[in-house]
Amino acid sequence: MAQFNLPPNSIIGKGKTYYAGAGAKNVRRFQIYRWDPDSGENPRMDSYELDLAACGPMILDALLKIKNEIDPTLTFRRSCREGVCGSCAMNIDGTNTLACTKAIEDVSGEVKIYPLPHMAVVKDLVPDLTHFYAQYASIKPWLQSATPPPERERLQSKEDRAKLDGLYECILCACCSTSCPSYWWNGERYLGPSILLQAYRWIVDSRDEFTGERLDDLEDPFRLYRCHTIMNCTKTCPKGLNPAKAIAEIKKLMVERR
Amino acid sequence: MSNAYQLIEHNYDVIVVGAGGAGLRATFGMAQKGLKTACLTKVFPTRSHTVAAQGGMSAALGNMGQDLWQWHMYDTVKGSDWLGDQDAIEYMCREAMPAVIELEHYGVPFSRTEEGKIYQRPFGGMTTNYGEGTAQRTCAAADRTGHAILHTLYQQALRHDAEFFIEYFALDLIMDDSGTCRGVVAWDLAEGTLHLFRAHQTVLATGGYGRAYFSATSAHTCTGDGNGMVLRAGLPLQDMEFTQFHPTGIYGSGCLMTEGCRGEGGYLTNSNGDRFMERYAPNAKDLASRDVVSRSMTIEIREGRGVGEHKDHIYLHLEHLGADVINERLPGIAETARIFAGVDVTKEPAPVLPTVHYNMGGIPTNYHGEVVILKDGNPDSVVPGLMAIGEAACVSVHGANRLGSNSLLDIVVFGRAAANRCAASIKPNSAHPATPKAAVDKILARFDGLRNAKGENPTASLRMRMQRTMQNHAAVFRTGESMAEGIQLLEEVHAGFDHIGVSDRSLVWNSDLVETLELDNLLGCAMVSIKSAINRPESRGAHAREDYPDRNDEGWMKHTLAWLGPKSEVTIDYRPVHTYTLTNEVDYIPPKKRTY
Amino acid sequence: MSIRTPLARVRGLGAAKDGTHHWWLQRVTAVILIPLTLWFVISLLAISHADYATFQQWLSNPIRAGLMATLLVATFYHASLGMQVIYEDYVRPEGAKVAALLVTQFVLFVLGAISVIAVLKVALGG
Repeated sequence: MAQFNLPPNSIIGKGKTYYAGAGAKNVRRFQIYRWDPDSGENPRMDSYELDLAACGPMILDALLKIKNEIDPTLTFRRSCREGVCGSCAMNIDGTNTLACTKAIEDVSGEVKIYPLPHMAVVKDLVPDLTHFYAQYASIKPWLQSATPPPERERLQSKEDRAKLDGLYECILCACCSTSCPSYWWNGERYLGPSILLQAYRWIVDSRDEFTGERLDDLEDPFRLYRCHTIMNCTKTCPKGLNPAKAIAEIKKLMVERR
Repeated sequence: MSNAYQLIEHNYDVIVVGAGGAGLRATFGMAQKGLKTACLTKVFPTRSHTVAAQGGMSAALGNMGQDLWQWHMYDTVKGSDWLGDQDAIEYMCREAMPAVIELEHYGVPFSRTEEGKIYQRPFGGMTTNYGEGTAQRTCAAADRTGHAILHTLYQQALRHDAEFFIEYFALDLIMDDSGTCRGVVAWDLAEGTLHLFRAHQTVLATGGYGRAYFSATSAHTCTGDGNGMVLRAGLPLQDMEFTQFHPTGIYGSGCLMTEGCRGEGGYLTNSNGDRFMERYAPNAKDLASRDVVSRSMTIEIREGRGVGEHKDHIYLHLEHLGADVINERLPGIAETARIFAGVDVTKEPAPVLPTVHYNMGGIPTNYHGEVVILKDGNPDSVVPGLMAIGEAACVSVHGANRLGSNSLLDIVVFGRAAANRCAASIKPNSAHPATPKAAVDKILARFDGLRNAKGENPTASLRMRMQRTMQNHAAVFRTGESMAEGIQLLEEVHAGFDHIGVSDRSLVWNSDLVETLELDNLLGCAMVSIKSAINRPESRGAHAREDYPDRNDEGWMKHTLAWLGPKSEVTIDYRPVHTYTLTNEVDYIPPKKRTY
Repeated sequence: MSIRTPLARVRGLGAAKDGTHHWWLQRVTAVILIPLTLWFVISLLAISHADYATFQQWLSNPIRAGLMATLLVATFYHASLGMQVIYEDYVRPEGAKVAALLVTQFVLFVLGAISVIAVLKVALGG
C-alpha cells in the first residue's frame, strides 16, 4: 500500500538553529534535512539564517556558504555548478531540481531543502542512486547494430538527428524519476521516466538496428506500464526535457508494431 | 597505524583513477583487451567535468572543405608556442580521424551536415594550409559535445562490463623502494572503508586543478588529485606555470561560454563597441589562440575600455547569428547565459571575462601515456607501473597553450593509447609482489591525521586564501614582483595547513575531509605552479610576463620539471622539448614568430 | 535476506512481453464508453416516464439491446482493467494482490454476465 506514515526511524525531528550575525541586511532562513548515519539518531531539520547580500544567487551558493562558514559537516553532492552534471539534484521548496540553477529569489519565504524523495539516504542530502544506475545499465544504453560500421562515420540525416533533440541532453540527475509517484511505490520494477527517456533515445536513433529487441525488453506491465501519465516528470525536469512525451511515444510504438 | 584501519584488498591488472573522458576510454579499452581493470572515481562517471565541455573535438575529417592532419599538427604546434612535443602532436593529429569515427560508431549524437556527415565548426587557432584560411575542423554535437562524448564513453564502459568503484577517493600512490608504482589506497565514501588496490599499472586520469583559483570554469571537483599524489610520491610535475584562461567565461559565475560562439560567427567588443580583436590578431581576429584573446581582453579592460558598471568585463555578441542558428548550434550556452547572466543572447550581448579553464601542465608522460621523469640524466626515464592521461598528464601535446577542441581529442586518443600500451606490456592475471607495508602505513597516517585534525584553520578559509592569492598573483599577466608576493602569501597558507581543522569525524561520506584532502592536492599544484612561473623569465603561450615580454627559444624552449618538498620548497629542473616528429612523413616544424 | 547485484535486481525475471494489450484495451473501452454512456443517459431521460411494457418494447429493438449489452460489457471490462492497475500499483504483498485481483475480476465478470443476461431477458421476452 502507498505509505502515508513514515516508519519510526525516519520521522524527522527539529534540529539546531543557526542565526545570522547582527548587521545582516537580507536575512533568509534555510531549513535543511540532516541525517548522520553514525549517530543512530532520527533525521532532523536544521535551520540556517543567511544574509543573502553576502551570498551568491543560487541555492547551491547558499549551501556552500553554510558549509564553508557555518557547518562544515553539511553534506551534499555538487560538481559543475552550471546545471550540466546532475550532481546537485535535490528537493527544494517541494520541487525536485538542481540546486545550482535554482535561484534563491525564485523561492518565497523559508527555503526547505530535502534529499530526492523516496530514496534511501546515505547522509544529509546524499541519496543512494545505485538502483537508478543499475536500471540505466539494464536498458543497454549503447548503439547496437548488426551491420558492420562503414569506414567513415555512419550517415545520419539532419531530420533523423533532430529526433534526438530533447533526449540526448538528459544528465541523469534523477529529478524526474524521484518525482514520480509510480516510481515511489514501484521503483523496484518500474524503470521510471529518466531511464525510459534514455530507452527512447536509443529506440529513435536511426543508426540503431535493435529497436525491436529494445521494445521487447520494455514490454512489461511494470517496466513501462506503471506510467499513468501523472506528468510530474516533465513538470520538474530542470533541463526542460519531456520524459512524459518520450514514454507516450514508446507506448505508441508498442501499439503500432502489433 | 594500519591496525587502526582495516584495509580491504583488491588485485587487478590495471587501475584507472578518474572516470572522465580519458579514464573511461582507457578503462573499457583495457577491459576489451582482456585485462582485469578497475576504474576508481570520486564521482559518478557522468558527473566528471568532461561533461561540461561544449565546443567540440578536432579532427581533419574534411567534411566541410579540404583538410589535412598536417595542417592540424602545424596549428597545434603553433598554438603550443613551440613548447609541445611534436612526436606526440603528430601522433594525436594522425589518430584524430579514427578517434572521431570510432566515437560516432559508438553512437555519439554529433550534429550533421545536409549530407548526413559529422558537422564541423571553426575554432580558435584552427587554420587551413598552415595559417592561410580558417579551418572547420571541430566536430560538434550542438554545444554539448563533452556531454555527448562522456555519456557515450560511459555507455561503452557499461557495454564492456567495465568494473567501477564509484565514489571512492584515491588517497595516495603506493611506491616501492625501486620507484615502481604498485597501486593505490582509496577510501569508499559510501561505506567508510579503506581499500588497497594492487595493480601492474596505475593510470592517473584525474583532470586539472582549476579550483586553485577563485574564478574558474572548472567544477568544484577539479582539484588536481592525481597531481597531488604524484608530488607526494616524490615525482615531478611538468610545465605547471602554464594555466589557460578561456576568453569567454561568464562575468560573475565563471560558467563557460564555448569558443564555438565565436566559431559560429560571434565576436567581442569593448565599451566603444569596437571589435578590438581585429587590432590584436588581424588574420584570425576573434578566432585567434585563447591566450592571445585573453591577453587582448585584459589589455582592453586595463586601458579603461571594459564594459559594465565597473568597466571590468567585455561583451560577446551573438545576436546577429539569429535565433535559428543559436537554437540549433548553441542551445546550451543560450540557456547558461539566461540562467547565470540574465541575458537573452538572441537579443543582447553576454558579459564575459577571461576565466581559468585548463592546465597545460601536469604529470609528464610520453605519447604512450607512461609517466617519464628526469632520472640519472635521462629525461625520458619511464616510471614503472605509473601512467597518466588527459588533462592530468603533460605529454606534451598542448605545450604552453592549448587550442580549443584539442582536449576532447587528447583524452580519447591517449586514453586509447594507454589501453593499447597496457595490453602490450601486461600479462593478464600475473602475480603481484608483496605490497610495501611502510608505504601503506604512511598513507594511512596522513589520512588519519587529517581526519582528526583539530587546528584553528577551517578548510574553507585556507582554500579561499589560496584561491585569492592565485587569482591576484598568477593571472593572465604576471610580474616577478607580484609572483614573489603571491609565493609569500601561498607559503603562509601552506603553513596554515599544518593547523587545519576538520569538523566532521565520520568515515561515511565525510565531505569536510574530502575537501581537506582535495585542498592538500590543490596547494601542492598551486605552489608548484607559481614557483615554476616565477622561474621562467620569458613569455610563452599562456605564461605572459610583463617584465619578460618576449619568447626566448634559445634559453627557454624546454619543459619545466618541479618537485615539491615537505616544507613547500620547490626544486626545479628541465626536460628538453622533443625536436623530432613521430614519422618521417612530416618534418619537424621549427619555431617562428607567433602571430594571428 | 537476498544478496544480489543491483543489475540482477533490476533485470529480475525479465520482461513479461505483455502489457500492451491491456493498455490498448483500457483506452479502447474508455473511448467507446463515451458515446455509449451519452446514448445511455439521453435514452434514460427519453424513456424515464415509461412503464415496463413500453420499456420492454423499447429495448427489444436489436440495436438498442445490442448497444445496452455492449455498454455493460465495456463498463465492467473497463472497470476490471482499471482495478487491476490499481491493485498492481498499491496492493502488497503479492499474495494479497493476486487474491484481490481474482475476487474483483470474478465479481465484475459475474456482474457483467448477470447484466447482459438481464438485458437479453427483457429484450427477448415479455
